[in-house]
Amino acid sequence: MALVGPSGAGKSTLLGLVNGSVLPTAGSVRVLGDEVAALRGRAQRQLRARVGTVHQHLELVGQLRVVHNVNAGRLSSWPAWRAAWSLVRPQGLPEVLAALDRVGLADRVFERTERLSGGQRQRVALARLLVQQPELVLADEPASALDPVLAERALGLLAGLAAERDGALIASLHDPALALRHCTRVVGLVEGRVVLDAPAAALTVGDLADFYGAPR
Amino acid sequence: MTAVLDRPPVVPRLHRARTRWAWGLGALAVVIWSLAGAGAFAGDVVNPAGTGQFGRFASAALSPALDGAFLRVLADSVLVTVAYAALGAALAVLLGAAGAVAVARTTWGRRRLGWTLSRGALAVPRGLHEAVWGLLLVNLLGLDPWVGVLAIGVPYGAVTAKVFADLLDEVPRSGYSALLAAGASRTTAALYGLLPPASGGLLSYSFYRLECAVRSAVVLGLIGAGGLGYQLLLSFSSLRWEQVWSCVYALALLCLLADVGGRAVRRRVAAPRSSGDRLRRDPALTTAVLGSLAGVVWSWWYLAISPATLVSDRTGEQLRYVLAAAWPPDVDGPLLSAVAAAAVDTVQMSVIAIAVATVGAVLLAGVAARPARASAGRRLAGTVVRLALLLLRAVPPPVWALVLLFVLLPGVLPGALALGVYTLGVLGRLAAEATEELDPRPRAALTAMGAGPVGGWLYGVLPAATGPVLAFALYRWEVAIRDTVLVGLLGAGGLGALLASRVAAFDWGAVTTVLVALVLLTAAVDLVSARARSALR
Repeated sequence: MALVGPSGAGKSTLLGLVNGSVLPTAGSVRVLGDEVAALRGRAQRQLRARVGTVHQHLELVGQLRVVHNVNAGRLSSWPAWRAAWSLVRPQGLPEVLAALDRVGLADRVFERTERLSGGQRQRVALARLLVQQPELVLADEPASALDPVLAERALGLLAGLAAERDGALIASLHDPALALRHCTRVVGLVEGRVVLDAPAAALTVGDLADFYGAPR
Repeated sequence: MTAVLDRPPVVPRLHRARTRWAWGLGALAVVIWSLAGAGAFAGDVVNPAGTGQFGRFASAALSPALDGAFLRVLADSVLVTVAYAALGAALAVLLGAAGAVAVARTTWGRRRLGWTLSRGALAVPRGLHEAVWGLLLVNLLGLDPWVGVLAIGVPYGAVTAKVFADLLDEVPRSGYSALLAAGASRTTAALYGLLPPASGGLLSYSFYRLECAVRSAVVLGLIGAGGLGYQLLLSFSSLRWEQVWSCVYALALLCLLADVGGRAVRRRVAAPRSSGDRLRRDPALTTAVLGSLAGVVWSWWYLAISPATLVSDRTGEQLRYVLAAAWPPDVDGPLLSAVAAAAVDTVQMSVIAIAVATVGAVLLAGVAARPARASAGRRLAGTVVRLALLLLRAVPPPVWALVLLFVLLPGVLPGALALGVYTLGVLGRLAAEATEELDPRPRAALTAMGAGPVGGWLYGVLPAATGPVLAFALYRWEVAIRDTVLVGLLGAGGLGALLASRVAAFDWGAVTTVLVALVLLTAAVDLVSARARSALR
């Protein structure tokens, strides 16, 4: 599903409501069959582990090596001692390498994340998601720092990841063409309200361009 | 060709950052060496007989002395302390402004040798603690209020000169060069092109010095200059615990006021209100500046300072006598080996202090930081920890040493721990502020993915916080080595104790030797700390 709308429309807030980092002031949010705000402790962590989010690579810790940032996707299933030990001797290296290989960064696995370019960091964020294996994938402008070829690949990866586990992908996107190619449903937001909800097949690139304030 | 392409990807090897590991392991070794040297592993460091006395001292915390007579004494000592602080800071700013011109790169231009020498000359007054200056000046001037003012003003003046010069040198050159090119003299060009952009920083730093001067004035009281520190020591040695606690609370309040006031001024300077098209000054800043100036005049009157003391014949005679006796320095074998042993003690004390403070600060930083969203219980815990940290840094280290001597046997360890407790107060706050300034998004993302609190802290907070906190710790080590001397002056051993005994014996040749050792040691610590900090980056 693609989420479109001008900036400030509430796309990021909606994604935050779904993954539980934003609490609703009114109403309720049901995700994968559970009430997000009602869960506490272990049950809350288990639900969160099933929802994976990529922001615009802002969630990475620059001082950590790439391997640790990718492994952070597994913190929900690791006990604290294993998480701590992994910072000394990286754990589960094969899976990390496999994930990085899929985004084309296997050779940078031990690099400090802050030394990577914006686009490379975004791919590290994708690799983190590959390791997390969530059922529901949320992506906040996953293609914004990537060139067209990489953006295409990134979205393909995200959609494939969601499909692997019979889940769904919700991505906020700026590129109408990309939204129509990779998503089956398009929802448009303006000032926090849904003003468009249609199957991608029924829309054209021109319809969507209007949403971003492009000249009519 | 295809064989090359089909080869499985080569897994890069994990290269540890060698320099960082070397620094880390080296630091660990030094800490263990220091603990061993202080006798922490030798057993018998606790004095069980003192726990009763300690209990009485601690329980007096809830019933401070509040009778009218003592409160009047207390108010007087507070005023004396404030007066010393105000005059000391004013002198420091004057000396700093004059000194800044002498050590700024702008003055020296390309003459590097002159610049290096003038900078080096500043290291001497800077390397000696205010208390050391106090001790030396008392022997020159006798018991005169000038001792307190000069003891603060001289070392602070040296630091201020360096910082002012740096602030001036950091101003972008373009405006200054344009004025020079237009034919302005260097002085005028500096006045129009350098001073205005730097003035905010200069003002901020002056007020920061005033804040620090309050603490120094208390410390000088401990070595006899009068004021709150002196009163605290009197009450302590007459075992009047209720009075001691009144003094401690007054101190904490004074430090808190200096802190809050200083920070308010600095925030105002950093973010000035726009005044539109009219020429108008920020009323709060104007009040602060005028109030401080009035405070300086009042202090001059209150301490009854007269410039005559400085130029009197007696002072001149005494100065000539001491200088003649102090040169050449004493370099005989027994003294040098005593200096070396004392220097080792001093280093070990400062290292233990910093290790204790750093561990404590890292553990407390999370609680002391103000989070964006928090429950009422979490907020209360944060306030309690912040108040405790304030109390830790309000009480000067020598007083902590006296308290620790209730329960520890005399030696290097109580002095080191006292310094550690005090430094924890400072470092805990710095670490909490560093934690507050971290980007909250990585941690929020980890939580949203289902990471637990420990995992989120390990991956989201620790990596980003380590650098700034260690940098602060190293910087505080430079301060701690100077403070070790202070604790030593009052009997905890090390170079400070050696210096106090040599001064008491009027052995001026030996005093010079110890002072040289002190300056060299602090310079060496500054160097190591700077190296370690650049390795961290």
